[in-house]
Amino acid sequence: MNNRVGLYFALPALIVLFMLIAYPVAYTGLLSVTDKTGAWVGGSNFAAMLKPKVTTQAFVNTLWWVGGSIVFQVILGTAAAVLLNQNFWGRAAIRSITLIPWVVPGIVAATTWAWMFHTEFGIINYMMTSTHLVAKPVGWLTEPNLVLPVLIAINVWKLFPFVAIMVLAGLQSIPNDLYEAARVDGANFWHEVWHIMLPGVRPVLTAVTLLLVIWALNSITIIYAITRGGPANKTLITPIQIFRQAFESFSFNQAAALSVMFFAVVIVIVFIYIRVSSAEPGVAR
Amino acid sequence: MRGTGLTWPLILIGSILLVVVCLFPFVWMALSSIKTLQELYTVPPHWWPNAPTLENFAHVLFASNIPRYFLNSVIISGGSTGLALILAIFASYGFARFEFRSKPFWQAFVLVGQLLPTAAIIVPLFITLRVLGLVNTYWGLILVYMIITLPLSVWMLTSYFKAIPVELEEAAIIDGSSRLGVLFRITLPLSLPGLIAVIVYAFVTTWNEFIFALCFATDSTVKTLPIGLSEFSTEFNTDWGAVMAASMVMTVPIALLFLVFQRMFVGGLTAGATKG
Repeated sequence: MNNRVGLYFALPALIVLFMLIAYPVAYTGLLSVTDKTGAWVGGSNFAAMLKPKVTTQAFVNTLWWVGGSIVFQVILGTAAAVLLNQNFWGRAAIRSITLIPWVVPGIVAATTWAWMFHTEFGIINYMMTSTHLVAKPVGWLTEPNLVLPVLIAINVWKLFPFVAIMVLAGLQSIPNDLYEAARVDGANFWHEVWHIMLPGVRPVLTAVTLLLVIWALNSITIIYAITRGGPANKTLITPIQIFRQAFESFSFNQAAALSVMFFAVVIVIVFIYIRVSSAEPGVAR
Repeated sequence: MRGTGLTWPLILIGSILLVVVCLFPFVWMALSSIKTLQELYTVPPHWWPNAPTLENFAHVLFASNIPRYFLNSVIISGGSTGLALILAIFASYGFARFEFRSKPFWQAFVLVGQLLPTAAIIVPLFITLRVLGLVNTYWGLILVYMIITLPLSVWMLTSYFKAIPVELEEAAIIDGSSRLGVLFRITLPLSLPGLIAVIVYAFVTTWNEFIFALCFATDSTVKTLPIGLSEFSTEFNTDWGAVMAASMVMTVPIALLFLVFQRMFVGGLTAGATKG
């Protein structure tokens, strides 16, 4: 029998994806080494993007954004999963509620939190001043050194539920005998968390973390909707810089050069991550 | 029975904390959406509205572009969900049931699509769409959303199809059914939970999508809800009451859709992930 049949089934989807992925990627490369008229300009677009300080600053901000988001998403998500893995009344309802931040549109999360963090009328400043945690209202979204951590916190809130459901699925596939054996040995709950649950969900966590890295590198919505990269570029991350270069300054070729560099860095990060995470399955903790 | 378990005070505190953290922003959104402007701008803020009003909703529904954007969102999300579903059904069936030489390559290609930094391809996509005359059209966004929805849909459906015993299909083929007949009369009905997972996933992600819509839909005839919402809040003087009302209009349908199909959706998603 013709063994091409499978390929024919997959072909329409593959053509669409090829058109939408491979072609634009190649086209980005072409744009990055040409100018508006299509003439070859070598590396000058790259040089023009590397020179200004803002590019370095955006890159450093991106690292903080990705690192900060992921550490807390994984920790809080895993903690929530361990909690929801317990047997207690009302657990199903709480599981559903936990998923809500992940399901709501990013733009809704961004605007709602922006309103809650509002300096004068925000509920968060009210709660903190009325309980005397802070003496006077804090400019959460205007204080240069506070904005990025606040945005990271919003991003953590948005995505820790995803970690929680994935880890919860991993926890539920751990065989019961392991717990029983541990209890015979006199293990308490925290021993079980450390020696059974965490090792058990390691493969899930590895896969989820990779997705989180990609999503954090792609996420524009929350930052763009709240600060657009300001104040003074304190929250400008590279994806937003690309976007603004292309659609606010309308210099597509330089935006493409920046995209190529960003793309290269992302691929290196993903590659290193996959190598490291698949190389140490049996490492003792 | 499992584990030694947490003590009940810890469970109680943890649960309350979790619920408050996850729900409070929505409660506050709902409360803010029924407050008058003066009340929104009161220091200290009132927890409960003194004079609840539907004025903000009236403003959003009758005096803004939001209803039009809502319609655009329904058409674009519906269209791209349908297209992704059709393409993913055939592709997943091909991947799950047949062997062909280039299969590992194409499967990796589909996965890489999921890992692609979207910011890096916005520019060429925009230029391509402009050449094709698809900027500011429904079709432009529907097509572009395949990048987001198709890879994970193919991934989820492939693992679903693989879980259905081949013997069922072989029996039907012996009885004279065609390949397509088998797919539509046996495999698809059996993978209904998987199909629903894909539909919910594709609809929710495209409904929520912001950055492609921001770049490729700049005309109010095709703008989607997320863009409409950001228009409210980026004006110099934000009308927070209207913003919160518009947020409600945008969130409630998607939250309902999700809660109804939650079980199947989570099942489909985690099945794909834990089987690797």
